[in-house]
Amino acid sequence: MIKNDDLVSPYQIAMIIIMTVISVGVFSIASDAANAAGPDGWLMVAFAGAVNILAVLVIVILNSRFPGKTFAEYSQVILGTILGRLLTMMFTIYLIFATAYVVRSFTEVIKMFVLFRTPTEIIMLSLILVCTYIVRSGVECVARINELIFPILFIPFLILMAFGLPSADFSNLRPFLQASPVRMLSAMPALAINYAGIELALFYIGFMENPKKAYKPAIAAVLFITFFLTIVTALCIAAFGQNMTAYFLWPLMSYIRLISMPGLFVEHLQGIMLSLWMLSVFTNIVSVYFVMSYSISKIAGTKEQKQYVLPLAMVIYYFALQPDSLVSHYELAKAVLPYFIILFLYVVPVILLLIAKLRKLEVK
Amino acid sequence: MGGIPVGFLLKKKDSRKRIEKEIGKLINSKSIEENKKRLKDRLKDCDDIVYKEFTAGKEQIFKFLLVYTDGMSRGDLLNNAVLNALMIHAREVPPDAREPGEELYRLVRYGGLPASELTDNDNLEDAILSILIGDAVLFIDGTEKSIIIGAKGWPKRSVSEPNTESLIRGPRDGFTETFRENTALVRRRIRDHRLKLKQLRVGRRSFTDVGVMYIEDIVKPELVEEVLQRIKTIEIDAIMESGYIEQLIEDNYLSPFPQINITERPDEVAGSLYEGRVAILVDNSPFALIVPTTLNSLFQSPEDYYDRWYISTILRFIRYFASVLSLLLPALYIAITSFQPDILPAKFVISIAAARQGIPFPAIIEAFLMEVTFELLREAGLRLPVPIGSAIGIVGGIVIGTAAVDAGIVSPIMVIIVAVTAISSFSIPNYNLSVGFRMLRFFLMAIAGVFGLYGIMLGIVLILSHLVKLKSFGIPYMSPYVSSPASDLKDSIVRVPTFLMGKRPVLLARNIIRMKNNRQLINQLEQEKDGNDKK
Repeated sequence: MIKNDDLVSPYQIAMIIIMTVISVGVFSIASDAANAAGPDGWLMVAFAGAVNILAVLVIVILNSRFPGKTFAEYSQVILGTILGRLLTMMFTIYLIFATAYVVRSFTEVIKMFVLFRTPTEIIMLSLILVCTYIVRSGVECVARINELIFPILFIPFLILMAFGLPSADFSNLRPFLQASPVRMLSAMPALAINYAGIELALFYIGFMENPKKAYKPAIAAVLFITFFLTIVTALCIAAFGQNMTAYFLWPLMSYIRLISMPGLFVEHLQGIMLSLWMLSVFTNIVSVYFVMSYSISKIAGTKEQKQYVLPLAMVIYYFALQPDSLVSHYELAKAVLPYFIILFLYVVPVILLLIAKLRKLEVK
Repeated sequence: MGGIPVGFLLKKKDSRKRIEKEIGKLINSKSIEENKKRLKDRLKDCDDIVYKEFTAGKEQIFKFLLVYTDGMSRGDLLNNAVLNALMIHAREVPPDAREPGEELYRLVRYGGLPASELTDNDNLEDAILSILIGDAVLFIDGTEKSIIIGAKGWPKRSVSEPNTESLIRGPRDGFTETFRENTALVRRRIRDHRLKLKQLRVGRRSFTDVGVMYIEDIVKPELVEEVLQRIKTIEIDAIMESGYIEQLIEDNYLSPFPQINITERPDEVAGSLYEGRVAILVDNSPFALIVPTTLNSLFQSPEDYYDRWYISTILRFIRYFASVLSLLLPALYIAITSFQPDILPAKFVISIAAARQGIPFPAIIEAFLMEVTFELLREAGLRLPVPIGSAIGIVGGIVIGTAAVDAGIVSPIMVIIVAVTAISSFSIPNYNLSVGFRMLRFFLMAIAGVFGLYGIMLGIVLILSHLVKLKSFGIPYMSPYVSSPASDLKDSIVRVPTFLMGKRPVLLARNIIRMKNNRQLINQLEQEKDGNDKK
């Protein structure tokens, strides 16, 4: 009777966007921002968020022209079968890189703070394989897991952040607006990587009953993300000052280590922080992973996406293993990912929307 | 062919065959002798069947045959309502009736038997089934029709307080093994003509009564349809208990979580029906099944609605917390002692290390040892008779408590952890759910022994994925926490004040308005009173 209807509710759209964007980036964004704009880093983050509201608006407008269709389907309508498939293929390759990046970053952190002697391969494989279980069950389950983990993640997360307030010195944030606009603009690509994930809305809105209902949740999601990342950046810069923050690889982790509440049962909170972070990494991988297998199934023209999940696990695993060290890992990521993100988050939706408008393509 | 004239048989042969073909069953013969012979043939060697032949009437020419199962029918009812009555009434048949058989039948059926539950019957198969269920069948010579007299009555347990779900506040009655009494207990709480009871017989040999109850205008019709269809797919020789039905119709047989709620309490069944769920009652079982079931509903107890709202809310928080503890505590102990001692305060770590000094096993072996011992004790205590059971408790207390520590096999901290885990798992209201958590606890302990905290997180994520994927009769198992409107959250981990619970669960019910908020009216009354006082 009541079968899986493969629908995503507006609330779930917001959850998917938030949980996808907030993953590994949270830990390094303060460092990127401080590098780019000094004490104004947190303003930069807020500014980038405002830009992303425009980006998400374009995505929703584009999607609501093609209700019931995802990027993988309407790109073929707009650009023709071959070009559309090529574009989807590119998107998939980008997602594979992005997931490999997340998996590798996470594994490095786990190795550094928790499991010192466990082989990287084992950690990576266990993480990816755990994700395959839910990805195989379809979009409904992916949406639900995002919805379920959101409160489990953010309520303790925000409480933890509040514990660190005593060590923050907000005079570190002054002076305001010192960085030149040129410097700020040139820093945008470096920050864009932290907003990666919004472009998944290109797919997930296609699973909604009525894509027009996506405006509110999508904008709310981006606002929440912006708010959250701005707070994280501001707190880190306030706690450490711009130079220290820029020097750290994961300022948020150091911020959490600062916290020591006398009488608190748990003394070092980074264990809890890592556990929470694991949840956010998990939801990120799951959302991206599903889109990957879904778009491959669309490129291949098959109905189901299940059969592509396990082979993809091997591909992700392969790419995640490529960098020899943490340094080369981040260098590689910074060399490739920002361009992909800018392409798919800002450029492609606008171009597709323009073509669709010019060709008067619309599905009613 | 007994005492039937051959000519009569030939005349009726064709029409008789036609009727038999239509109903697909062997219809009764007109002759009592023949009926008795057929019955005895079918019920050969069933020595508990009673055949009471008697004659009545002025000239004792009307022959009757009463058949029932000894011990399953009420003898006093049969004596009063059949034997006693017929021996008087049958005399009044006019001797010149054209067809004494039919005439007699009508008289007996509508005027002769002072019993409330009478059914017409014309075929032997149904008659035999009725006899075996506990009813009595009365055959009358000269007609093909027989009368089924509802006379079920066998030794049974009276309604008593349910053992498995005791409450502090709430009604004390619980289901029994008798199907009809159970439906009556539910009906007493829902005196609405829209409460429907659909009865089926399941089991090729056991012919067990299975009743599907729902409130017509609240429940979603497709849910009832689904439940009925799933029950109809069952082809089995016997249904011994509602657990058979539960296992045969549940969604995922591999899941450690129960997807069908079982209860002994009629008030819980009635409450679920009012929410738009469907209840399945099975004969011979004091446990009713409730579908669809969500994880949230397994954490609820009927008491939650009888107590004031903040009491219930606190209790629900405690239950959720207890379930998390019973799931995670031993795993956390393993992970922290063997992988991440640094997340605890230094003094505490030192005291743990001191306690663990001299213990020959790694933490994971220690934890498994204690947990398995505890499970053994629990199982032994359940199976033993009550007087010996308490002895097991004492032995267990000494073994787990002091001896193991003194002998240096486990650390005292491990004892505390086992105890807290056990207490936590007892405070989960649903037994099946707590068994599920017990299984998962061992899984988490194993994975924590390999990967530490990271392993526990992997395990949690896997469990969450499974929960999110699970559905019970089309309803997500994790609702109302996922894919539900916000109003359903009013009855989740928090239970809002009763006057705010104006809606039924939107995911379940078709007709969602439950009540009107009467707070304002009460306030108005108060204000009017105040106004009067001032005057």
